[in-house]
Amino acid sequence: MIVAATINTTAVVVFAVILAITLGITYWASKRASSTAQFYAAGRGITGSQNGLAISGDYLSAASFLGIAGLIYLYGFDGFLYSIGFLVAFLTVMFLLAERMRNAGKYTIADVLAFRLRERPARVAAAIGTLNVAAFYLIAQMVGAGVLIEKLVGINFTLSVLITGTFMLCYVVFGGMVATTWVQIVKAVLLMVGIVVMSIFVLNKVGFNPIELFNRAEAAGKAEDSTFSLGPGTFLKNPIDTVSLGLALVLGTAGLPHILMRFFTVPNAKAARSSVVTAMFIIGFFYLLTTVIGFGARAILGQKGVEAAGKGGNLAAPNLAENLGGGAGTTGGDLFLAVIAGIAFATILAVVAGLVLSASSAVAHDVWSSIIRKGQNSDHEEVVAAKVAALSIGAIAMAIAILGGEGLNISFMVGLAFAIAASANFPALLLALTWPRFNTVGAVTGVLTGVISALGLIIISPIVWGGAPGAPDTGAFTWYDLNNPGLISIPLGFLGCFLGTVLSTERETERSFHELYVRSETGLGAERAVAR
Amino acid sequence: MAEPLAPTGESHAARTDDAPHREIDWEAIEASAEFQELVRTRRSFVVPATIFFLTWYMGFIVLTAYAEDFMSERVYEGLTVGYCLALSQFVMVLVLGIMYLRRADRVYDPLAAKAIERWTYLDTDEARAGQAEERRFVTARSEVPSR
Repeated sequence: MIVAATINTTAVVVFAVILAITLGITYWASKRASSTAQFYAAGRGITGSQNGLAISGDYLSAASFLGIAGLIYLYGFDGFLYSIGFLVAFLTVMFLLAERMRNAGKYTIADVLAFRLRERPARVAAAIGTLNVAAFYLIAQMVGAGVLIEKLVGINFTLSVLITGTFMLCYVVFGGMVATTWVQIVKAVLLMVGIVVMSIFVLNKVGFNPIELFNRAEAAGKAEDSTFSLGPGTFLKNPIDTVSLGLALVLGTAGLPHILMRFFTVPNAKAARSSVVTAMFIIGFFYLLTTVIGFGARAILGQKGVEAAGKGGNLAAPNLAENLGGGAGTTGGDLFLAVIAGIAFATILAVVAGLVLSASSAVAHDVWSSIIRKGQNSDHEEVVAAKVAALSIGAIAMAIAILGGEGLNISFMVGLAFAIAASANFPALLLALTWPRFNTVGAVTGVLTGVISALGLIIISPIVWGGAPGAPDTGAFTWYDLNNPGLISIPLGFLGCFLGTVLSTERETERSFHELYVRSETGLGAERAVAR
Repeated sequence: MAEPLAPTGESHAARTDDAPHREIDWEAIEASAEFQELVRTRRSFVVPATIFFLTWYMGFIVLTAYAEDFMSERVYEGLTVGYCLALSQFVMVLVLGIMYLRRADRVYDPLAAKAIERWTYLDTDEARAGQAEERRFVTARSEVPSR
């Protein structure tokens, strides 16, 4: 069924170089991944600026790089809306969670909840939230990896997923957070260099005048059948759905376990907040340049390039690189395409490694050590459990990606991950840190309401049924037309937390609030960096 | 509040091993003027800033959703109102980020240090090590020899 494309030798060489660098990092890190503090949190010895780079590497997925550039190429303004949401979300993270997480937590989101709530239910709830988000995000990234590598390098989908999964597991199992962090840093640097060089090439064509780029993109966007527009409404056609998406984007990041986990790797709250600001600069600059790439692709490739850009325009950026390098078949074109493909590959690897690490920490630290073994196991046993968990999670994600194949809708799963993060994890975390009355029942009801409502609403959404609301052959509901559940599920998540709390009689958690509150605001008693 | 909250005998290993909470009077710190000042000062920036950025951002989203024509209007050649507002979000993120960073370093950190000044001696590595030793000793005595 899968037609074997010709293998792009230059791309294979670039991939090999990237894999060699990351395996070198893993070998170096493997000597330092023996304790839980090293395995989950890199001994809390990552500096603020290193962590800022690592957050960028953890956050900027292939969906950001190829997906947004592709959407801007196809639809113009509406694609850029994702860039804005993904960036502004970091203000939510900084103002509400970053420092508090660092001061109050140890390795996982659950640590913050378990600090003041009844431990076992709190950890189960947090683990459900974490695993749901990580699972959907991970499968989406794996499928994305398979599709892209298949197209860019010419090896088939199954093999692409297997390669990605195997290397991801290598970093996590042998190198833990230390290797994952440095893979993310290397990826962030590669990605920034790649997008800056591409942008310079594009801007060079318009005399470094951005307005001229806008004009040329617009002119090219006037072609027949073009969906490109400098104004909104070409991709996001349902206004209320746009608002719902915007809300899930700005609050979702603050509930992503692999991003929050990064704050446990720095020595103190000061480094946590400076890392957010560093990440804001890098991520902001990156998203600004997505416009240059998207508009550049529109101006240079034009409407003729739409078919070659594939579904969602994901291949617009690599195709643009090929064109900028001199065109298909030229040495420069092949090389530029291979480098951008390699960067996209590194991008995926760094994100999936972070996701697997956060999921395995939830399984090993929260479920295995705290719930099953009740804290009686050794530190070493927990590290082993985390590695086993990582292997299992990785294997399951690879299996689902391969079985589901290219038919799995990537943007729908990423949207779902953000919706669950914003509706389940974010309300419970925020309220645990700020609301004295909040209790265990509230946390459990809130997380469950958030997860179930986000999942349920996605299942009945038009995107799943493959048509417009009420379309006769698809079975989509006529009365529900939101593809993004955030507008309903986020308030439901908060409502679940609130009602669960006020309707239950549990009051002991108000006493434990004092310690968590003082600790999260001042850092007194916070986890220390491991002395080397 | 060192005691486990629920009388269920659940493990609180994650807390008791690491947090020096037995000797520290958390409620006294919370009630202290210094802590209250820290919280008040921080909130006086974070709350308005959060309201502002959410309003500016969601305002942009709502305009994108419901005011297509306005957002598509030209400011200068190919530059639309929508793109200008989108770019203003970048400026907002960087300005608020840097403002918060500077305030935190100059104002909040010193205030936090003052609020916990009297207690930090209980939170040194030595104090923590001492506590851990003491606990291990107690555990060893109270347990039946296990090997």
